[in-house]
Amino acid sequence: MKFRRFRPGPRLVSVLVGAAAAVLVLYPIAFLLQASLSVGDPQARPPEAYGLDNFADLPRYGHIFANTVSVAVAATAMAVVFGFVMGWILSRTNVPGRGALEQLMALPYYVTPLMGALAWSLIGSPSGGFVNQVWRALGGESHLIDVTTPYGIAWVMALFEGSVAFVMIGAVMKSMDPALEEASQVLGAGRIRTMLRITLPLVLPGVLGAAIFVFAEMLGSFSAALVLGLPARFYVVTTAMYQLVSQYPPQFPRAAAMGVSLFGVMFAMVYVYRRIIRAGSYATITGKAFRPRAMDVAGLRWPLLGLCGAYLAIAVVLPVVTLLYASFQRLATAFPRASNFTLANYETALSLDAVRTALWDSLLLGLGTASIGVVLMGFLAWMIYRSRLPGVGAIEYVLMFPQAVPRLVFAFGMLWAWLIFPIPIYGTLWLLLIAYLTVFLPLGLRTIAGVMLQIDRSLEESAQMCGASWGYRMRTVTMPLLRPGLIAAWLLLFIASVRELGASILLMGPKAKVITPTIVESWFSTSTELTAAMALLQTLAVSVALVLLFTVVRRATQPVGE
Amino acid sequence: MSQPPVPGRRAASIEVRDLVVRYGTVTAVRGISFSVAAGEHVTLLGPSGCGKTTTLRAIAGLEPPESGEIRIDGQPVFSSTPRVRVPPEQRGLSMVFQSYAIWPHMTVFDNVAYGLRVRKMPEAELRERVAWALGLVQMRELATRSAAKLSGGQQQRVALARAFVFGPAVLLFDEPLSNLDAKLRAEMRLEIKELQRTLGITSVYVTHDLEEALAISDRIVVMRDGAIEQAGTPAEIYDLPRNPFVADFVGSANLIEGRPRPELAGPGLVALQTAGGAIVHGTAYGRRPGDRMCLSVRTVHVRLSRERPAGAVNVWPATVRRRVFQGDFTQYHLDWDGRTLVVRGVTADPVDEGSTVYLTVEPRHCVLLEG
Repeated sequence: MKFRRFRPGPRLVSVLVGAAAAVLVLYPIAFLLQASLSVGDPQARPPEAYGLDNFADLPRYGHIFANTVSVAVAATAMAVVFGFVMGWILSRTNVPGRGALEQLMALPYYVTPLMGALAWSLIGSPSGGFVNQVWRALGGESHLIDVTTPYGIAWVMALFEGSVAFVMIGAVMKSMDPALEEASQVLGAGRIRTMLRITLPLVLPGVLGAAIFVFAEMLGSFSAALVLGLPARFYVVTTAMYQLVSQYPPQFPRAAAMGVSLFGVMFAMVYVYRRIIRAGSYATITGKAFRPRAMDVAGLRWPLLGLCGAYLAIAVVLPVVTLLYASFQRLATAFPRASNFTLANYETALSLDAVRTALWDSLLLGLGTASIGVVLMGFLAWMIYRSRLPGVGAIEYVLMFPQAVPRLVFAFGMLWAWLIFPIPIYGTLWLLLIAYLTVFLPLGLRTIAGVMLQIDRSLEESAQMCGASWGYRMRTVTMPLLRPGLIAAWLLLFIASVRELGASILLMGPKAKVITPTIVESWFSTSTELTAAMALLQTLAVSVALVLLFTVVRRATQPVGE
Repeated sequence: MSQPPVPGRRAASIEVRDLVVRYGTVTAVRGISFSVAAGEHVTLLGPSGCGKTTTLRAIAGLEPPESGEIRIDGQPVFSSTPRVRVPPEQRGLSMVFQSYAIWPHMTVFDNVAYGLRVRKMPEAELRERVAWALGLVQMRELATRSAAKLSGGQQQRVALARAFVFGPAVLLFDEPLSNLDAKLRAEMRLEIKELQRTLGITSVYVTHDLEEALAISDRIVVMRDGAIEQAGTPAEIYDLPRNPFVADFVGSANLIEGRPRPELAGPGLVALQTAGGAIVHGTAYGRRPGDRMCLSVRTVHVRLSRERPAGAVNVWPATVRRRVFQGDFTQYHLDWDGRTLVVRGVTADPVDEGSTVYLTVEPRHCVLLEG
């Protein structure tokens, strides 16, 4: 009688789902650690003996770590400059067309580092790069630019990551209460002094946070270094790991030790980033509604606008146009000749069984990852940010782990973890589905949490006070209010899954291929022109799939009236 | 106005016993006890951080208490021993939130109908009841409007209608008027009081606004630092504050301290001598004077006059240091007995700054505080 109304329902479900998700993350990491400590026969599983030999061996790869750091530093510096300049222009000046430009700034992110690398290789490889062809035609010696150098790789990565830096820095600049600057001016400080003494110190933590975040991402980045660096035998940690695993015989323990070191450094970085964001947020966020003050830049309006346009042109238009141009040629060259144009690359790409099944599998996986992910991550977000169950803080921490682990490193842990799993999912799409759901946990959680945190808790509480049970509240209040966040998360998960490379390249089996690694394989083994066609087909397929889905969804949920 | 019979329970009583609520290491509510009779309107009044909202949310079930007991209509809904935890949705209460918590993705009608739909009321009856509730808050014309397109005052009315439409046993109010501007606040105050009368429902109301508390309550519970300072009718709280905190928080009061001079006190009165030497006569109202006494004198109860008035006690000269025009009244800051005394006078006949005036206050308005 006393316990008549005690119902463990949502609580029990929460504990189970939270624990399952935590296992999803921690299980591969445990295997990664185990592999890194394995000494003796590198192929033996479970390890014959444990020791720190693999870590003691790492100094032999000192040059690879140095490469990684120099590329990451150069890329971070460029990306933060791009992000800062664009962020300042688009959120604090009166440049025309700011709203539209701000939307367009997301585009570089969708171009992806892989497409960027493929395109820039066509533009700026020392021998066949279009720019260098033109340079020699004009009488120049050897080559003008070379994207296969560390700085070239950093440049390609920075163009892509610049839009991430822009989003982070732009948000900080926008969230600053203009009254803070106005107060300085009212008290007699000039514009320059206000900028130096007020604006900069307030924005600095955000910029620093963005720099650290970008740096961590760059340390773990894979595709640009793979496409541009591998032919020139220039290795960073992730590509070296890939090489160690895919060579014969594979050097699993050594690769694992590398991965663990990278994980350690990135983990520290992400930790510092979170500390900075937390410590620096007090000054700029007031919770009051305001419009950031736009500075009148008078005659500089058009040059500044041109700067934004130039970034978009170099980061988006140039790579896409280059790939398009190359994909329609028999032999990619800077100089158009009618006889050189062909549709054969597309015909070949579409006729290849490998490409067709890989593309289809990728779209299927994207659909699965996005749909399952939204439900799973929506529930996890609710549990972490709403349920107030004990221990959710620790679960949030664990679920954000994949953010600090390069996807390749994570996949490496999974490779080991699921090989010994009793149910044979290794080499099937199921393993990839599990991998995607795990590595994209932070992406989905952050997207949904962003919307969830804006929903006042009392909106759910008032439903509770009206007598609605947990399920009824979820269905009538929480879910409908979350819809924009859930849709955004679905789209992001879909796009990210279809274009995933780092985890897929290690985990896909011969009978379960996905498209992005297939494109990379084609880059190394077939022609550049065919690869360009494949990359564009992938982009096209994603776009068509999204348009179709949107049409269907809109038709299905067309509101009646109003 | 036609009034369909209220479904659900009749008004219920609430008992709170030894309630303790902790957030981590902070104790928000320190073992308070009070009760609300069926149909009574009780207000929890206090400064921010005093634990009043926490107490309300504990009654609602939205905040898990550490220990104590809460009973609604005699049935325990929370108890530490034996362990009872009834979830909020099963307590038969309803609540109006400070933020209104109007669901922006629904129409006004759907917002109000929510509690009835939860209770699976047939559609025809439901329509009738929602119309009745919206009528009571004068929102019937806006039923089809999207809730996202309402003004603050309109959201407030919808929140009210949504809270009482399904005939809850108790209505809880969490600072419902604090986001409205002063004029609308005064208006809604009257409407809520009117509504309480119409519905005859038990209500617990949380506010930090004294006027609001005085206007709508049968009884007020004054809280500070998670404890109850005083509980009583609005008149008792206002006229007979127990201690300096209540005297000061509930309206503006001058506190006059001194040592007792029982030999000067008349029948039924007390007398004290201040550090500055002034003799003040007050009334004990059954309280016992200690060796230090404190009298509370409301600023509106002190009269100013230019000529020395007739009367033997509590008449003193003073100097006007500062005059503050406040519209409905004029506030004077007077130099008296080596300290500042605040007095509210009528605006019609202002006294100039710097001039000497005579103060009079009747001993019945000098209330002895508990020692």
